[in-house]
Formats: sequence, C-alpha cells, structure tokens
Amino acid sequence: MLKIDQYAYINRLAHVHPLEKMVLALVTMIICLVFSSPATSLIVILSMAGMVIWLARIPASFFLKLMLAPVAFLLLSVLTVAFVWVKDPAGLLWGFNVGCYTVGVTSRGLITAGALLLKSLGAVACLYFLSLTTPMVDILSVLKALRMPPLFIELMSLVYRFIFVLLDTADKIYTSQASRWGYATLKTSYSSLGQLVSNLFTKASRNYQMLYTTLTSRCYTGELNVLESSHVISRRNILLIILFEAALLLASIHLAGFLTPFAGGAGS
Amino acid sequence: MKSKPILETRGLGFSYVDGTQALVDVDLSIPAGKKIAFLGPNGAGKTTLFLHFNGLIRPDRGKVYFAGQEVRYDHASLLELRKKVGVVFQDPETQLFSASVRQEISFGPLNLGLPREAVLQRVHKAMQDTGILELQDRPTHFLSYGQKKRVAIADILAMQPEVLICDEPTAWLDVKHAVQIMDLLTEINGEGVTVIISTHDVDLAYSWADYIFIMKSGRVIGEATPECIFYNRRLLEEAELQRPWLLDLYEELQRKGWVSAGLPPKNIRDFLRSIKDKEPA
Repeated sequence: MLKIDQYAYINRLAHVHPLEKMVLALVTMIICLVFSSPATSLIVILSMAGMVIWLARIPASFFLKLMLAPVAFLLLSVLTVAFVWVKDPAGLLWGFNVGCYTVGVTSRGLITAGALLLKSLGAVACLYFLSLTTPMVDILSVLKALRMPPLFIELMSLVYRFIFVLLDTADKIYTSQASRWGYATLKTSYSSLGQLVSNLFTKASRNYQMLYTTLTSRCYTGELNVLESSHVISRRNILLIILFEAALLLASIHLAGFLTPFAGGAGS
Repeated sequence: MKSKPILETRGLGFSYVDGTQALVDVDLSIPAGKKIAFLGPNGAGKTTLFLHFNGLIRPDRGKVYFAGQEVRYDHASLLELRKKVGVVFQDPETQLFSASVRQEISFGPLNLGLPREAVLQRVHKAMQDTGILELQDRPTHFLSYGQKKRVAIADILAMQPEVLICDEPTAWLDVKHAVQIMDLLTEINGEGVTVIISTHDVDLAYSWADYIFIMKSGRVIGEATPECIFYNRRLLEEAELQRPWLLDLYEELQRKGWVSAGLPPKNIRDFLRSIKDKEPA
C-alpha cells in the first residue's frame, strides 16, 4: 500500500490532470460492470494493464503482484457461485453426494463464476490504474472541485497525512520493543502488541492535540484552506479517452451480442 | 538594549492542570529586530512561554504585551497577534498537516484572507527563502527530517510575521543541517524579523544570539548579551550551564598572551583571526 502511494507520485502519468484519469478509470469500470461479458472484462484488464505498464511506466511485475493480491479472495467467493446443491445430479459436470443431495458444478455455473471473476478483476484493474497514477492529494482536489462537502475532504486529507505519521510511530515502537526481546515468544508478542496498540492511541491523541495547537497558531478558524494544485486539462487526452471509451463500448455491445445467453444468465 | 521592545511580559505566571508551575513571575522585554535565544534545560518553561507569545495559552497571572499593546484574548485580537507572531514548533511531524508541501505552506497566508495571487507569491518566496523549491511537488511524507523542518519554517515565513519563534530549531538535526537552519534564521533576521529561539546548546546561543535569556524552573534567572552573560559565573552555576568552549579556550590563550586582547570571538572564524594577528612577521 505504501508502494502504491510512492508510485502515484513518481509515475509518468503523475502530472496528467487527475480528472482525466478519474474519468478514464470510472467510465471504464462502469462499462466493465454493466456488460457482464468476460470478453469486455478481459479487454478492460488488458488495456488497464497496458496503460499502467507502458504509459505510467510502473514495473509489470509489481502490477502483476497487485492483481494477484485479490485473486485468492476472489476465487473463494467465486467457488460458492460455481457450486450448486441439487437433488437430481443430472446435468452436473462433476459432483459428489452429501446425504441425499449432490454438490457439484454445472457448465453454466462455471461460466458464471469465470465471468464474475473476470468482471471483479476488471474493476480492480481500473481502481489500480487510478491509485497507481494519481496522488491522493490530486484526487482530493478533484473531489473538492466537484463540490464534495469540505468536512469530508478535510477528514480524508488528514487521515491520509496521518496514516504515515501513525505508521512511522508504530514502526518506532515496534523496533524499540523488538530490540528488548518484546517479540521473543508468543506470549511476550501478544503483550507487546497490546502495549504497542494502546501506546499508539495515546500518542495519536497527543499528536492530535498538538496539531490543533499548531493549526491554531496559524490562524485556523475551522476550515483547512489550502491552494489547489493547478493542473491543465489536455484536449488531446480528453479526445483519446473519449475514443478509448467509445471503442470499448462498441466492442462490448458487439461481443455481448454473441454472448447474450450466458451474459443474460449471469445477470439474473 | 536600545531598540524598542516588541514582546513584553509582566508578572506572567502559568500552571498546568497537574499542578506543574510552568512559569513563575516572568518579567521580560524582548527587543525588536534582534536575534534572541532562550537558554535552559528541558522543562524550564521555554515552550510554555512561547505559547503565551502566540496567545495559545492564556496566562493564569500577569500580562503579555505585543509592541506595547496588551494582548487581549478575543477572537479578532488573537488572529491579529498570530499574524504578527509566528511559531515554528519543535516537531515538524505534528505541525505539517497536509500531504502536499505547497498546500501546507499556503494554509497560513490563505487564513489571513489574502487573494490567491498574493498567496502564490508568498508561498513561492517562502519556499525560495528556505531552499525547498524543488520539494514543492513532493508529498510531505517523502521528506527527510531536515526537509520537514524547513517546510515548517516556510509555513510561518509565508505569513510574513514580525516575530519568528523557533522552538528548539536544531533538535535532532545533524551538524550540517543545524548550521544551515541557523544561517537561514540569521538571513530571516537580516530582513528585519525578530527571531527568537529556544535551545540548551550554549555554544549555539553564544555564537548566534544578540541577546540571551536564561530560564530555569519557570523563571527567567538572567538576561544579557552573550559577551556578558557567560562571564557571570554565578549565574551559569545556578542555571547548571557550561560555558561555551570557545570562550574558555580564548581566555586561556589570552592569559598566555597568544591572542590579541579585545572583544572575545563569537565564532571560530573570528577566533582564528585573533590568533593569526599575533603571529610574528
């Protein structure tokens, strides 16, 4: 997660207007979710991977690792879709008996499960594209421009900033505990971890009080006013995004035509 | 000290909720436009005093004056005071609230209600003066400790205060970065800003400050120019402070007749010059 944050600031697309990247990621994700066809999902995954690896210059191995992260979790949930309980084992590709029921997979169930897996990965790829190429600060400035409530944005920005302070503090406490055999046995590990967490909370609350003091000393009156970053929207990029989404949409409609029976089944 | 006082306190007293007497009867007067150092051990009350200068703490007893005016504690007066007196806190980690360096520095000037153009200018100048222009697009959490310290100073500089207070500006910094920060503070002072620091480093206070206050257990127990204050051995003993090594060395060499008589040197360069002058032709 920290590495994602680092890439967000140093990738080749970091200086592109955040709104362009958000539109691209969100529209693509919506198309991927609306068309429940595996072909669309595959196109989305591959095009997002291409953009992350070729345009943003993020190492392919890192992107692959990120994509694999949710796979185990997805497989588990998709399995429950693939398997069915039936009384009559006819039509099952494979199955085993549990009492008078049969648990097994149907071809239809398998296709649904595969489509679901690809669809989820497609959506995940879109979100990875956004989080790998767009610094949090930029996302927040777009949200602000979109008139999200200031309270929400300030909260998000403070949480984002202090995640790093908190992690740093936790890391220091952990090191100081580990250097004194705090994690030597399972028992001491439990008690050390407990102390770490409770200390972290005390420290966080002290930090918060101090932060309030330091903000007050800079004439804080309840609103965190800051300068917004000045990105320029590129017409060329907008045109490219429109072209890409249009192509994706057309391809999806075209492909969905062939796959309607399955896609329709998956949808209902 | 001839110059007009910019900050004064009369009979200032403050206790924390747990009963700790942080300040006891503090009477002092800080001359405008100078480099001021508060010397004293941890817990002497330096930070508490600084919080009073910024109106962040209301005194239990006594009064604070800014430029001859008594500090009042209504909203508008406090904002006015904080516009003129800026505090750089010891730990930049608690001061920096934004993940973006530029946004961080823009917070103060925007609060002063300046138009966007003026804010941009001030932010740019503050970054230029503190030498962090190349950091402006980096997120705060990528910065080193020394860089964060600079951003914290730029935070306050962008508000263009008349008084800049730095709590322990060199704490946790290596020698090279500490020297850079002190040079920066000297430059800021050169532009007419009164700079106040707290430190427990006698060598630093001796060579940098124009005027020194010594604090102990919530009291100001001595004040003078650095040339005078370190000749007051009784005061140093009471404050449990060492003498600056430069001064000890200079006195010893002077006794032996190896250096020219005159004002004691404030830094190594002056000191070496005073030796060279004595060299036989």
